[in-house]
Amino acid sequence: MSTDLRLTAAVAAGKAAAATSRLLRRGGGTTIPGDVALALDRGVLRKLSPALPGGIVLVTGTNGKTTTTGLIAGALQRNGERVLTNSSGANLVFGLVAAAVADADLRGRPRSQTAVFEVDELHLDRAVIETRPRLVVVLNLLRDQLDRSGELETTAGRIGDALRKLPDSAQVVANVDDPLVAGQCRGLPNLVPIGVDAGEFLLPGLPHAADARACPVCNAPLRFSRVVLAHCGTYSCTACDFGRVQPAFALTHIDAPRIDALSLEVSDGAHIDAAVGGVYNAYNVLAAYATLRTMGISQAAATAGIARFHPRFGRQETLTLHGRTMRFLLAKNPAGFDEVLRTADELGAATTYLIAVNDRVADGRDVSWLWDVDFERLARSDREPHIVVAGTRAHDLALRLKYAGVPQERVTVETDPERALQLAASTGDAQTEVAVLPTYTAMLDLRAVAERAGAVAAFWQDPGRA
Amino acid sequence: MTTTRPLRIGHLYPEAMNIYGDIGNVRAMQRRAQWRGIDAEVVPIEAGRADIASCDILFMGGGQDRDQSRIFRDFTEYKREDVTRAVGEGAAILAVCGGYQLLGHVYVDADGNELEGLGLLDLRSSAGHDRWIGNVVVEADPSLGLRPTTLVGFENHGGRTYLGAGLRPLGRVRVGGGNNGDDGGEGVLAGRLIGTYLHGSLLPKNPALTDWLLSAGIAHRDGRAELAELPELDDDVEMAAHRRAVELAMAERGRAPVPRRR
Repeated sequence: MSTDLRLTAAVAAGKAAAATSRLLRRGGGTTIPGDVALALDRGVLRKLSPALPGGIVLVTGTNGKTTTTGLIAGALQRNGERVLTNSSGANLVFGLVAAAVADADLRGRPRSQTAVFEVDELHLDRAVIETRPRLVVVLNLLRDQLDRSGELETTAGRIGDALRKLPDSAQVVANVDDPLVAGQCRGLPNLVPIGVDAGEFLLPGLPHAADARACPVCNAPLRFSRVVLAHCGTYSCTACDFGRVQPAFALTHIDAPRIDALSLEVSDGAHIDAAVGGVYNAYNVLAAYATLRTMGISQAAATAGIARFHPRFGRQETLTLHGRTMRFLLAKNPAGFDEVLRTADELGAATTYLIAVNDRVADGRDVSWLWDVDFERLARSDREPHIVVAGTRAHDLALRLKYAGVPQERVTVETDPERALQLAASTGDAQTEVAVLPTYTAMLDLRAVAERAGAVAAFWQDPGRA
Repeated sequence: MTTTRPLRIGHLYPEAMNIYGDIGNVRAMQRRAQWRGIDAEVVPIEAGRADIASCDILFMGGGQDRDQSRIFRDFTEYKREDVTRAVGEGAAILAVCGGYQLLGHVYVDADGNELEGLGLLDLRSSAGHDRWIGNVVVEADPSLGLRPTTLVGFENHGGRTYLGAGLRPLGRVRVGGGNNGDDGGEGVLAGRLIGTYLHGSLLPKNPALTDWLLSAGIAHRDGRAELAELPELDDDVEMAAHRRAVELAMAERGRAPVPRRR
C-alpha cells in the first residue's frame, strides 16, 4: 500500500496541534487538530472511513447523544474491539476529524476497527457524506435552543434529507415513539424502529414542552394514547394513517431502583441492568442495545457491555466537593430539564439544588425556554428544597422560580460558579446529595471549579475516553 | 361596590403558538393580578369557534412556520370578527412575533406566499434575507408612562414589519433590530393594543408593562375609559432580572442581523 503523502502530513500536523493545544490547556485540544488536519487535506474522513473494518456508526438527535455513543462504544470495546469515538462532545465535523487524527498511525491508517461518533443534528448531512456510515441512530427531536438550531421542523427536515443520502446498505435505528423522528424515517429501506411499550413512568398527558402535536404527514392533530416523556409515546393521526409503528426492539418493563440505575426488559427477552438513571436514559440504553444487536453483537455481550458503562462528563456524574456529594444532571433544553427535574425529584433525595443557566452560544443565547420548563415541580416537592441559582442568567432563573411559586426564602442568587458550589454544599441537609442542574457551558464552569479543587479529572484526561 | 367577575385572559392557540416561552407572559399577568387579590383566569382559545367576547386581555405568541400558516387561516376564518369587536370595546391585546404580524394586513413568507392577516392595524410584514437574533433594549413610548422606561427582551425573527403612517411603535430600539432594522422602531402601540417581536418571556422582566396591560384589562372588565390604578408590588426579583438583561444587551450594541440559513 502506497503512502498518501497529503493524508500523512494532515494527520501529523493534526497530532502536533493536539499536543500543543493540550500543553496550552486550550479546551483539551478536542477540535483544533481537526481544523489543522482539514486545512491540509479536506478528505481526511473520507480516506479514514473505508479503512475501518467495523464501519462507522453515527448517533444523532437532540438529547442523549453523548450517553448513547458512550454506551455503544463502551460495549464494543468490552467485546474486544478497538473503537474510535468522539466521547467528549466534539460533535461537529471538525470534532470527528480530530478524533480520527488522534486514532490514526503516522501513515494515516486508523488503529481502531470501528468508529462510533455522536453528530450534531445540523451536521448529520455532512457527516453522512464524509463518513458513509453503516448505521445511524436517531434518538429524538425535541425543542432545542431555537436560536441555534432554527426551528424544530427545519432540523427534522435536514435529518430526513441526510438519511436519504445514506448508502443502500446502511441501517437506521430510530426512536419511533417520537413522531418527528418517525415522520422523517418513513419509507427508509433498512429501518430498525425502537420504542417503549412499558406501562411504568407514563405521564398523564403531553407536557408543556411537547412539540409534535401535529401529524408530520398531513398536519392534522395527533392523538396520544400514552406519553413517556416530552412528545414521545404512542400516537396516531386523527386524519391520515400515520401512526407509531411497532418497534423491532421495545422496552416492555422499566424499573428504576435508584436515581442512577435502571433495570429494563426488552421485547426480545433480554434483561438489561444499567448504571444510568431516569426514563430518558431508558431510551438511550434501548437505542444502544438495538444498535449493538443490529451490528451482530450477541444479546449476552450487548447487555454485559451496557451494564459496565458509567456515565461521565456532567451526565449523572457524582463528585465530592466541600464534603458534600454533588450529582451533575446536565440539561440543555426544556424537555431535558423536565426530565432531569423529574429524575432528581422522583428518584433522588436532594434537599438542595444548584441550577446554573448560561446564555453563551453553546447554551443558546435565548433563555425564553426557562418558561417552558416545569419548575413548578420544585414548588410542589414535599422536600421543600433550597435552590441556589447560578450562571450568567441566574437572575432570570430566580424570576422564573418566583413565578413558579417557589417561596423566595428558598432561592439564593449567586452568579459566581465557585461561590455557588460552596453555598450549595453548605445549604440544606448535609447528609443528602446536591442535585446540580447546569446548562452545557455552566457545567463546564462548575466542573472547572471542581477540577481546580482536585475533585474531578479534566475531561480530556477522562479515563473513559477511548 | 358590586361584586366583579374575574379578569379573563384569553390565551390564543396555547398549543401551537408557544415556541418562545410565551407561556411566561400569561403567567406573569395572572400572578400579578392574583398577588393583588384580583381574581384572574386564563381562557385557552384553540382553533375553531371560541369565546373571545368575554375576554379582557388577549395574548398571542409566535409559532413554527407550519403552525403559523394554519393559525393565520383559522384566525381570519373564525376569530376576525370577535377580535375586532373586542378591540372596539376596549379589550387589551398583546401579540408577540407571529401574533404581531397577524394583526396587520399581510405576511409575505420566504417563498412569496401571502398570508392574509386580521387587518386590524395598518402594518405589513414580510420575510427578510437575514435574521435579527439577540438581546434587545427598547425605550418605551412615553405615553405608556412606564417606570423604568426601558423594555428588555430577546428577538429572533426573520420577519420585517413596516408600520403605516398613522401608527406609532411600542418604543425606540436602543439595542437590536426591532421592526425592520431600518427605522429604529420596535413593535406597535395602538390604544390598548400592543404588538412586538420581543419575547424572553417579555412580561416577567418588564413588570411595568404587565401592569399596564392589567390596568387596561381591568378597565375593560369594568367598562371604564381610563386605566385602573394598581397597588404596587415588591418587584426586587423582577428588576434585578431587568437590570441584568439591560447589561447583557448593552454588550451587544451595534450588532448586525445574521444571514438566513437555507
